[in-house]
Amino acid sequence: MLLVLSAEHRAHLGCLPRAGGAAVGELGRLALEQLRRGAAPRACETAARKLNIGVDTIQHGVEGLVYLLTESSKLMISEVDFQDSIHVLGFSDELNKSLLQLYLDNRKEIRSILGELAPRLPSYHSLEWRLDVQLASRSLRQQIKPAVTMKLHLNQNEDQTAQVLQTDPATLLHLIQQLEQALGEMKMNHCRRIVRNMK
Amino acid sequence: SNSSILDDPDLKDIDPTVLKHCHAAAATCILEAGKQNADISAISTCLEDCKLDRERIEQFCTEYQRRELVTVVSFSIGRSPLHITDVSWRLEYQIKNNQLHKTYQPSYLVTLNVENSDSGSHPDVSFSCTMEQLQDLVGKLKDAAKSLERATQM
Repeated sequence: MLLVLSAEHRAHLGCLPRAGGAAVGELGRLALEQLRRGAAPRACETAARKLNIGVDTIQHGVEGLVYLLTESSKLMISEVDFQDSIHVLGFSDELNKSLLQLYLDNRKEIRSILGELAPRLPSYHSLEWRLDVQLASRSLRQQIKPAVTMKLHLNQNEDQTAQVLQTDPATLLHLIQQLEQALGEMKMNHCRRIVRNMK
Repeated sequence: SNSSILDDPDLKDIDPTVLKHCHAAAATCILEAGKQNADISAISTCLEDCKLDRERIEQFCTEYQRRELVTVVSFSIGRSPLHITDVSWRLEYQIKNNQLHKTYQPSYLVTLNVENSDSGSHPDVSFSCTMEQLQDLVGKLKDAAKSLERATQM
């Protein structure tokens, strides 16, 4: 699958050959930092002074690289496709090789950053449990009522919540049986076939 | 309930206030006896202290012995944490989202149906998890079950 680069995008990347070899490395580093931590105008200004290039050129170059890297990583395009995609920009072989290397070295990290942007439900973190026997209550004395008290820890958007729940022995066995069935499904032929064919 | 004893044709000649007092007293006595798991001799003694005659005490005790319901009702009254009644699950295979394509990951969505001791219904507790996390959860539940089994054998 090839990357489609818009005219504006191509113009942004077009300033790369003008910047020179060493500059491309610097711009690559700035692009990755921007992906990790967000835009840093101060860093761009420093780089502009160091490389003796206009700040605007630096900014456009960084933005162009950020877009190129995120789109390529998002689609997980192959080496060949990446090379063919940037071929239209008419860069030198050396520049093409640097860009390819930049992509391959960092795509795993970029994909994990993009993965955190996906919509998410509260996710399981851990479970603590405790065995209780209720012996009496305000409304009834002399009981023997076993129960399992649990604390379910969930992650929701960087917050951890803990919910206290309780269940009786019969329901506990039912829960175990149902969830074991759920785990077993992945091993069934149907799921295996789908997983094999989806790659 | 109040409306049924006041409507009872056999009791229509009795002053309604007295009727309500008797009804409340009898109900309280039954609940207390059930709560304390009192036996017939204890109930008799208590009613004797209240100056009830022999005949009435015997009638009350006979009726009381026929009712097993009291204990069951008292058993379920009271506060407790949210009670899990059932679980449902869903297995899905993620292919892509708008930020990332080719994610190719199985994931489970588990929903625990819970009941509140007060109001009876409560929004369910749902969460997603990977296969490893579900294995962790099931492992811990099995530990709890094993521990329960050992406790009942003591």
